[in-house]
Amino acid sequence: MLSAERLVGGYGGADILKGVSIRLDPGEIVVIVGPNGAGKSTVMKAVFGLVTLREGTVTFDGAEISGLPTEQRVRRGLAYVPQERNVFVSLSVHENLEMGGFVRKTIPQAVFDRIYALFPVLAEKRKQPAGELSGGQRQMLAVGRALMVEPKVLLLDEPTAGLSPRAMDEIFACIKAINAQGVGILMVEQNARQALGLAHRGYVLATGENRYTDTGAALLANREVAESFLGGGH
Amino acid sequence: MIEFINNYVIPGLVLGSIYALGAIGVSMIYSILRFAHFAHGDLMTLGAYIAFAVVVAFGWPPVAAMPLALVGTVGASLAIDRYAYRPFRKSRPIVVVIASFGVALMIRAAIMLIWGVQPEPYVEGINPPLESFEPFRIQEKHIVIVVVTVVLVTALHLLLTRTKIGKAMRAMSDDADLARVTGIGTERVIAWTWVVGAVLAAAAGILTGIDTLLKPYMGWDLLLPIFAAAILGGLGRPYGAILGGLVLGVIQELSSYPLLSDEPFISPGYKIGIAFAILVVMLIWRPQGLLRGRVL
Repeated sequence: MLSAERLVGGYGGADILKGVSIRLDPGEIVVIVGPNGAGKSTVMKAVFGLVTLREGTVTFDGAEISGLPTEQRVRRGLAYVPQERNVFVSLSVHENLEMGGFVRKTIPQAVFDRIYALFPVLAEKRKQPAGELSGGQRQMLAVGRALMVEPKVLLLDEPTAGLSPRAMDEIFACIKAINAQGVGILMVEQNARQALGLAHRGYVLATGENRYTDTGAALLANREVAESFLGGGH
Repeated sequence: MIEFINNYVIPGLVLGSIYALGAIGVSMIYSILRFAHFAHGDLMTLGAYIAFAVVVAFGWPPVAAMPLALVGTVGASLAIDRYAYRPFRKSRPIVVVIASFGVALMIRAAIMLIWGVQPEPYVEGINPPLESFEPFRIQEKHIVIVVVTVVLVTALHLLLTRTKIGKAMRAMSDDADLARVTGIGTERVIAWTWVVGAVLAAAAGILTGIDTLLKPYMGWDLLLPIFAAAILGGLGRPYGAILGGLVLGVIQELSSYPLLSDEPFISPGYKIGIAFAILVVMLIWRPQGLLRGRVL
């Protein structure tokens, strides 16, 4: 479905990615974990075309997309939710969703209905400016906005950063629900244990390279991974 | 009281309407393209002179010449963006600011070459106050200026709140990076920003010409108060720009009210200084403006 092969590059200065490869099969949840500076978010951005790549290729749905502008990637069914500043604060909740579907000529009402059904709190606040939402609600709106193109794969950059434990659980539950509808999910998470518990497969990155690759459960059971990357084994 | 309204409030609102139209464009261009557009005043002058050409060629009144002048100015602004600003899209903002300064000089020089440097009226003759508004001294041109402003601002409001491209303009002015990753066609949004900016600028120029005279420096002279109005209202806030324009226009006129003696409180010669003072005070005290816009 989506694969990134031996990516090398960064933001113009020194390379942050030093040969990372990531793969996502149809319908999978794949989680990327690793210490700060490992290049987790950068891989995600590279897949979406926001990073200058010196080497490596990104293929999606059978075609190479490495050189495409982001708008084209969105049209092909790839949607990205940045970690912060991921809603248009002065637009209403509903307008944020409309903007999510900008690349579509017309947006069927059913698409809005599905997102409002997934996030009932957004339906309640549809006329409110997004700037007035709580952290968890903003994150829901950001995900909803990305779902407006009915993507095949959703890229989530630390969707639970800065949220309360309760809001985190809600977001993880939503991610599971979205995946159950057949959307592939590639996610970077600080909250590694919970995310790997949800994942079909996981990647552990360090200093811009792959360190471990396995199923989520196997990574959680791996003592070395637990001790070095998941904050103590227990 | 009636004298007060006649001498200060009506001229203030008329001037404020013109400031508002210019300030909306400056404010939106700043928040969407991320640079201070120094050629905006000269875009106003260009609109005013295109209308003048139509008035002279067909003998139409200036308001009838407006649609053609708006279209011409929009075309010019899109061409300017394509050849003078787009090559610098990824450069630092100061580079585009300087480019716009060059564009301002070129537009002004072209106008002087084509139409000369003498002040010209659209139509000769005096413009008496309308009798039906007695005792208020309201001239026909005042009605034209206020009505055109209200119509354009209403159209802008509908564009920004009811159309996809208008909402995308607000989205991009909120956060251009997020707009890009959302898949919003940012070049299309930029083109529409020029359409809106040029329509409002050309209208402001024509209204200035109707109110006073056409001069090659008319727009350049308005640039400072227009920037002050945009910052007063909050950059990136079109409604703030309208508010800022009206407030600034009225304050400028009120500043010469004989408050303490028979003499004007501040000599009318310092009117432009009022705009500058407001600009400085706002930048120090509340740089985000009245409606919480971007910080310069």
